[in-house]
Amino acid sequence: MKPPMPAAPFYFGSQGRELFGCFHEPSQKDGMRRFAILICQPVGHEYINSHRALRQLAVRLAEAGFSVLRFDYSGCGDSYGEAEQSSLHQWMEDISTAVVQLRALTGIFQVCAIGLRLGGTLAALTGCQCKDFDSLVLWEPVVSGRDYLQELYSLQEEMLRFRPKPKLPKKSPACTEILGFPFSRLLHAQLEELDLAMIADKPAARVLILRNTPAIDETEGDLKDHLIQTQARVEHRTMRAPQIWLPTPDGSLLVPAQVLQSVVSWVCGLS
Amino acid sequence: MKEEAVQFGEAGSLVGIVSVPPVTVDKPAVILLNPGIVHRAGPGRIYVKIARALAVRGFTVLRFDFSGIGDSLVRLDNRRFEESSVDETRAAMSFLCATRGCGRFMLMGGCSGAAVSLKTAAVDRRAIGVIAINFPARADEEESGSHRNDSHYYWTFALRSLKSWRKLLTGQADYRRIGRALTQSVKRKLVDRNQASVLDQQFRAKLWELAARHVHLTFICSKGDVLLEDLRHAGGKDFKQLCAQGKAACEIISGSDHTFSSLSDQERLVEAVLRRADAAALVPKLQVQIPGLAPSPAGALSSNDRKRFVTG
Repeated sequence: MKPPMPAAPFYFGSQGRELFGCFHEPSQKDGMRRFAILICQPVGHEYINSHRALRQLAVRLAEAGFSVLRFDYSGCGDSYGEAEQSSLHQWMEDISTAVVQLRALTGIFQVCAIGLRLGGTLAALTGCQCKDFDSLVLWEPVVSGRDYLQELYSLQEEMLRFRPKPKLPKKSPACTEILGFPFSRLLHAQLEELDLAMIADKPAARVLILRNTPAIDETEGDLKDHLIQTQARVEHRTMRAPQIWLPTPDGSLLVPAQVLQSVVSWVCGLS
Repeated sequence: MKEEAVQFGEAGSLVGIVSVPPVTVDKPAVILLNPGIVHRAGPGRIYVKIARALAVRGFTVLRFDFSGIGDSLVRLDNRRFEESSVDETRAAMSFLCATRGCGRFMLMGGCSGAAVSLKTAAVDRRAIGVIAINFPARADEEESGSHRNDSHYYWTFALRSLKSWRKLLTGQADYRRIGRALTQSVKRKLVDRNQASVLDQQFRAKLWELAARHVHLTFICSKGDVLLEDLRHAGGKDFKQLCAQGKAACEIISGSDHTFSSLSDQERLVEAVLRRADAAALVPKLQVQIPGLAPSPAGALSSNDRKRFVTG
């Protein structure tokens, strides 16, 4: 059995604000794919919980012949910066920096972005602004920032039932703490304003919306209809799968093979 | 402080980040080991915070992923994690030795990372210190593990929760589970308290062995974690004795949980780690390198250190 190629870890971007990335080279180099893939991860506890699954996704895409870049936003994971200084605009800028890096690494101009949760939302917003993406996968995207914050607070309340009451931080709180991650006032305010169903331009020519739950509520319907109005070709798939971004009772990290396969097959169908 | 992404081990299959101190000083390097299957950033990004804070103080820090975790490749040789993790930690030491000239190491990790730290220190004399965070002293007792967690939850949280009482009184609680957990708890309190299992005895022997080698031993525990009780039972009088003699230290972080899931927990954990790492770095280099030459325990641990375990 041929051992798999290790992904190449590296830092990129401007000095003092370097971003951490992992580049997965395609396993088969002949018959080069016409676009490269950028994976946009979620943030906070969702980033930690879904790291394993997104790495697996990158490996599968590389096996299918794609060049793939996974990266961490400023103040997240291994990238430079403090989480306290994060903002949506900074993270969108990071996505653009990663696109430039991916193009430089591969020599391929067209990019497909795959984003999970807030990662999908950030990719869509960046796609609208910069026209960076040829295609886009929105895996359980955050549509309403307000609802997203509400979900996080509910989860935090649940978590506090199972742990001692935390002590107040020594420093004056310049940010709100949610599930052990600091959210700056700016980021919090930006999330409250966020509504993906209000974007003005198409985020990519082709969009796949992937939902883990069978029920489609009004917001999701709105998102699909809205994206169609922006002239994007939108496909909506629903799959029963675990919500990998949530903590599990036994601390295990889940990899939803069916969802990953669905993403890979959709992307392969484009190329 | 600068950070570099590195690959080492067989065919560069292990991925890590080295935090490089701004100024080179003669301090041991620190290696952070995965807490369970969470990748090298750690829960709440706590490993990143610890690594950066240590680097600012002059420590070279490597946090990496064991094979099959995070960005490191899966091993194809079917070795058990208990063995491969120790080998890979030693490979990390050799890597830092070859690339940065580091000769002394402090091994640190949370939960299973703490267990690997202790195991590796027992077999590799380059390790001069261990900082074991929420050490799973009785992790092998799988059978009773879930009951123990349940029991910890019922005594510590549910007893004081209105919601839980409401569930109990309205027939929505899992009575069988509660019964099993309480029986287990009573049994442990009455029967097991002073009985050291074979594993406990091995653990105590390992502590004495490491202490004899002057390995700086620190256990950092969350007050709200079930593993603290396990450590006390598994370590027994030997652990207390080692702490009283300044050969080991135990810091208890009040109001925190297993994964240090609040910013305040994290802040206090980083402070404790810095304090312990600084203390370990004080151990004179010659004393740790020449077997048989005993360093003064007072040089390694202050009287405050000793008090911490007693008061905890």
